[in-house]
Amino acid sequence: MGFAEYLSSLDPQALLQRLPGYAAQGVLWGVMALGVYITFRLLDLADLTVDGTFATGGACTVMLILAGWPAWAALTAAVAAGLLAGLVTGLLHTRLGIPAILAGILTQFALYSVNLRIMGMTANKSVSVDQYPLLLSSRQIPRAALIGVLLAAALTALLCWYFGTEQGSALRATGSNPAMSRAQGVNIDAMKVLGLMLSNGAVALSGGLTAQYQGFADVNMGRGAIVIGLAAVVIGEVLCAALFRRGAPFAVRLLFVAAGGVAYYLVVGLVLWLRLNTNDLKLFTAVIVALFLAVPQLQARRKSSFRAADRKEAQPRA
Amino acid sequence: MKKLCCILLALALALPLCACGRSQSSASGAEAGAQTAPASASGAASQSASAGKSYVIGICQLVQHAALDAATKGFKDAVTAALGDAVTFEENNAGGDSASCATICSGFVSDGVDLILANATPSLQAAAAATDSIPVLGTAITEYGVALGLTDFSGTVGTNVSGTSDLAPLDQQAAMFAELLPDAKTVGILYCSAEPNSVYQADEVQKALEQSGVTVKIYTFADSNDVSSVTATACGECDALYIPTDNTAASCAETINNVALPAGVPIIAGEEGICKGCGIATLSIDYYELGRTTGEMAVRILRDGAKVSEMPVEYYADPVREYNADLCRQLNITVPDGYTAIAD
Amino acid sequence: MLELCDVYKTFHPGTVNEKKALCGLNLRLGPGEFVTVIGGNGAGKSTLLNAVAGVWPVDAGRVRIGGRDVTGLPEYRRAAFIGRVFQDPMLGTAPDMQIGENLALAARRGQKRGLRRGLTRAERGEYRDRLAALGLGLEDRMTVRAGLLSGGQRQALTLLMAALRKPELLLLDEHTAALDPRTAAVVLALTDRLIAENGLTALMITHNLRDAIAHGTRLIMMQEGRIILDLAGEEKRRLTADDLLRRFSAAAGEPFDSDRALLADD
Repeated sequence: MGFAEYLSSLDPQALLQRLPGYAAQGVLWGVMALGVYITFRLLDLADLTVDGTFATGGACTVMLILAGWPAWAALTAAVAAGLLAGLVTGLLHTRLGIPAILAGILTQFALYSVNLRIMGMTANKSVSVDQYPLLLSSRQIPRAALIGVLLAAALTALLCWYFGTEQGSALRATGSNPAMSRAQGVNIDAMKVLGLMLSNGAVALSGGLTAQYQGFADVNMGRGAIVIGLAAVVIGEVLCAALFRRGAPFAVRLLFVAAGGVAYYLVVGLVLWLRLNTNDLKLFTAVIVALFLAVPQLQARRKSSFRAADRKEAQPRA
Repeated sequence: MKKLCCILLALALALPLCACGRSQSSASGAEAGAQTAPASASGAASQSASAGKSYVIGICQLVQHAALDAATKGFKDAVTAALGDAVTFEENNAGGDSASCATICSGFVSDGVDLILANATPSLQAAAAATDSIPVLGTAITEYGVALGLTDFSGTVGTNVSGTSDLAPLDQQAAMFAELLPDAKTVGILYCSAEPNSVYQADEVQKALEQSGVTVKIYTFADSNDVSSVTATACGECDALYIPTDNTAASCAETINNVALPAGVPIIAGEEGICKGCGIATLSIDYYELGRTTGEMAVRILRDGAKVSEMPVEYYADPVREYNADLCRQLNITVPDGYTAIAD
Repeated sequence: MLELCDVYKTFHPGTVNEKKALCGLNLRLGPGEFVTVIGGNGAGKSTLLNAVAGVWPVDAGRVRIGGRDVTGLPEYRRAAFIGRVFQDPMLGTAPDMQIGENLALAARRGQKRGLRRGLTRAERGEYRDRLAALGLGLEDRMTVRAGLLSGGQRQALTLLMAALRKPELLLLDEHTAALDPRTAAVVLALTDRLIAENGLTALMITHNLRDAIAHGTRLIMMQEGRIILDLAGEEKRRLTADDLLRRFSAAAGEPFDSDRALLADD
């Protein structure tokens, strides 16, 4: 159909109505982004375990709920599973000297089989909100959104408190300057393992929440999670830097990271609403996210660049 | 400035909560555990059913490949034939990502579509989770009980879900081994471990084959990356292979053929697409026809007011025995009567 | 306070790049001694410091600090007894953390880090005073990220962090080498003051012969992993740079070949 027809067929009202659903899903991924922030920004480690841990969280939660556990208990067990996954990656990296990226990939690979086993050798297990008491579901988006925001806020508060403690400061120092941390008596290896554990615990929590929201756990549900997590972290930081020129307090930065997940999903929702060829969904999402991230760089270039310097006349002496 | 920014941040995070204002009638939303339908969806659905003038159908397809595309096309053709211009389709493809299914389905629900077509299992699960009032029709789904976690599935789901199943009689498929490959003593079953439909079919076929005295071995691959190596292992240990209606195998049929054909191992496939690529024979379901059947069910719901909760899952009526002439010739398989050659 | 007995360390043994960095090194430092270490390139000065700090395990020999045998302890465990300043100003502080947080980190060196607050209000007051004593204006910028400071400021901060909890041993690895002369002088003066005020035992590597003579109570010269010259007291005070060079040639059998040391001026 013609371009004009296409434009007129877009319904802004529909987009607004869809936003809460997208935002609800986004804030669940925001929880995951908080986990990725710990390893990516604070520890300066690229942790690819998260693709596997996300599915582990979902699998554990669903299987335990199907077995009759209350939802919050299932989520707690999922977090424990995430901690374990982070521990494995940490030990592979610190004890066996495997580079962090590879250690993460190895654990993620192994988790595929582990996740299949957790789900009883099937790839997909559904958990219906009609039959089981779920904490949140896409059936009731406002409630899901509320629970998501509350959990994200609680996790942010917990992380804020933790990274202000002695141990948390030591963890931050490890990521900022490992040589100096060692000289200050910090056990770098222990800090890295701890950071990986915390991060994967948060990711597993996010996986458990998402599985409940979408009504099923799937062994491939974590595929590409690290990409989304990193995108959310960077989007959050860009937004934060744009709004707070002088630098924001840690708590605010963490909140923006969670908001980055929402922003990412809004982009996905926008692409869906624009009815672009859905086979190209991932391409368009990447383009829009890239534009997003390029804005600060382009703004800075507008103010000061080599080309501009070249064009300016020499200032007359006063 | 800082105050403004804090307000903006609060607004951004509160965005999800603005949905609270929209749910009108269901005041009981505050009750813990109460299952209330999203008001906008139920409002819109009842409105269009009574007005009967125009319908919006949301189509959520899991991934792009020939069988699923054919089912969607069949569905659209059948609905358009009956309802003409009165119906608009909102098609979305999840790109193989189950999280996207949830996004797409929640979008449909907040739009208040009149019916959702869920193409493949994760789409069905996401749709069922997102709404309990909008009719959901599944297609290209093998086993509804397995997909929805129903303990005693008797053929009718009973909630707002129904649809068509692409399950061809598995015992008849197993019987094809005796017909075409009577000398095969060891049969390997090859499928993608990430697909629940495949597990179910593999179990049933295994039972049927073992009853007829054949040894069965299972080979699974995790994704399209290990198809080659797993197929090679299977070909080394078995006389023949069976591949169920597996989406990943369907996209990798060429790869499988490149390993099995030189090894001289014949494959019986669960559906025509796979058979065209690497199989010698199949009990074929026409996915286009399956889609048409689903479309007819949709028309009954939308135009004639049939109740989706009373509609049992429909199965494909006349599976056809088909064979791949080219591969049969190359592997020296004699094809008995009753088989139709697959047209190119 | 510090004792190195017959310490050997070889890097890349058995390969083309084999380097015998320390060959049977023996060194004893009494409490309160301030020792400067000089030597040509590849003499083993930094290796000596790394061996004491525990960056890697030694091949043979024992290392004792304050009477306890630390040979089997890794770096982070020995850190309880050692304060260290690196040559690279960027290495001594955590650039993403605030000045106050850096100091708080140093204050807990050697202690078990638990879940108490990382930086308490009482501490902040103490650090303000300490920073004010430096005279660099840092006490008003305690919430500034350490990465925004200049090299000299970071080095001064690292020095303060190293001396904060009166370590048993202070290790200074050419800590003014990367600074401009004026800042280097400030940092050296600070070094002297902190060591004198706290009565610290210190080991300072420097490439500047005049600094080596002017500072400290004892001077050690190294060559090829061994100590070839050890002067203290009056003998050290009366030294001149030319003296040193002559004594080096006599002891080593070859001229002193470190361009940096020879060409450095105040």
